[in-house]
Amino acid sequence: MYDRKVVRRRRAALAVFLALSIAILTAYFGESGGGFFHALQRGAQEAFAPIETGASRALKPVRDLFGWAGDTVDAKKQNKDLKREVERLQSALAKAQTAERDATQLKGLVGLTRADGFPQGTRPIAARVIARSPTVWYSSIHIDKGESDGIRVNQPVIAAGSDPDHGETGGLVGKVTSVTGGTAEVTLITDASIGVGAQVMPSGATGVVRPAVGNPRDLLMEFVEGGRVTENTTVATSGFKISKGESLFPRGIPIGKVSKADLEEVDIYQRVHIQPYADLKSIDIVQVLTRRPPNSQTAGVVLP
Amino acid sequence: MILSPGSLLRVGLLLLVAVVLQLSFLSQLGILGGHIDVVVLVVAAVSYYGGSIAGCATGFAAGFLLDLLSGATMGVSSLVLTAVGYGVGRFREVRDPSHGLLPLAVGAAATGGFMVAFAAVSFMLDVGATVSPLVIRDAIVTTLLNVLLALPVFTGTRKLLRPVLKVDPFDVRRRRQPPRETGPLGLRGLEV
Repeated sequence: MYDRKVVRRRRAALAVFLALSIAILTAYFGESGGGFFHALQRGAQEAFAPIETGASRALKPVRDLFGWAGDTVDAKKQNKDLKREVERLQSALAKAQTAERDATQLKGLVGLTRADGFPQGTRPIAARVIARSPTVWYSSIHIDKGESDGIRVNQPVIAAGSDPDHGETGGLVGKVTSVTGGTAEVTLITDASIGVGAQVMPSGATGVVRPAVGNPRDLLMEFVEGGRVTENTTVATSGFKISKGESLFPRGIPIGKVSKADLEEVDIYQRVHIQPYADLKSIDIVQVLTRRPPNSQTAGVVLP
Repeated sequence: MILSPGSLLRVGLLLLVAVVLQLSFLSQLGILGGHIDVVVLVVAAVSYYGGSIAGCATGFAAGFLLDLLSGATMGVSSLVLTAVGYGVGRFREVRDPSHGLLPLAVGAAATGGFMVAFAAVSFMLDVGATVSPLVIRDAIVTTLLNVLLALPVFTGTRKLLRPVLKVDPFDVRRRRQPPRETGPLGLRGLEV
């Protein structure tokens, strides 16, 4: 049962309020920025600003609490995203560091081959280390250049030092002991089977450099004779023939510096300790000296 | 609802508090991309207890106040909230509003209706910008949040308006006693 009066009143109320809303909307759109409704809006906002400011300040702790809860939820997602980003950046960093390390080693090799006293005309070929012996007893590496690149057995191999900018440009690391079409094996001077005829500069004392197995940062120069040896002096290949056969290493390739020259040890064992210039623990790039320098002296250094 | 200075004062204060709270607190409280819209809930609650005429008047006043203080285009919120208020009021008049959980459904419908109608009016007024599909997600989240808040808002509004209501739906429910199952045989099955 409907009361017509109530229905009419209800519909009238709806129509009035809707019409009022549309009228306000139309007027608001039609007037300029300085019109009645715009001015009313500005006035109301100005009047209520202190109330809104007060309410906003009073409720800030609650808002912060909710914000904290929301941030915690967001943080989980951000954490996942950031982990992914860190992985990507770590990968990029590793690439950049590898490139930097390669550049440093190449710079060191260039500095080494251009240094005074280094044998000229050796036609060095750069190669990348592709494999490394896992034991300390057989100290060798494999490089990515082989016979097709002009690499031959017994050619000397050099590498950069750990800090070319501070004098450690590098030096001798070993010799080529086997070669295939595209790869070669280099036996390092830390291998027990190898020995190098060496000379201490500038005293001129000579001897044979042999490894101290297990410690790539320590070489031993044995059979020292012909001069006084002091610490921090440079040791280079002598090119002298000290046994049968042909010298593998031309004269003047730096090997390292004298790290310990104990008088007693020198007198009794004719032995000093040498720290190699080349960073034998972490070689990435080497150069194989593929040509014997003209007028180079020959000296056998292969140990029995 | 009995039209009196007391009822106008109560509803006016309620709207003022709701609008200020909305602008200075709830609108800044982003929860999962949405926010609570307490003004719609208050309009729905007043309409639910006061009927369609009170509903459309409250909707108009709330929308006017909201547009006035928020700096939005004046008339849009009043137009939409008038319709929402009238709709909820009519629902209360033609249906039995005494169920305790009905505010949840009414709150959801009112919020959803408000969002859709507001979007429609905004489109008609040419918003002049690309609209992201995320507004749909925000609307859904806001509706769900309002559902959570519907019961306390409806209960508070009812307590505030109770002295000026012609009929309190909960009183009607209380008056409906279950039929007697014990006592004299002649009274059993009757609502005594």
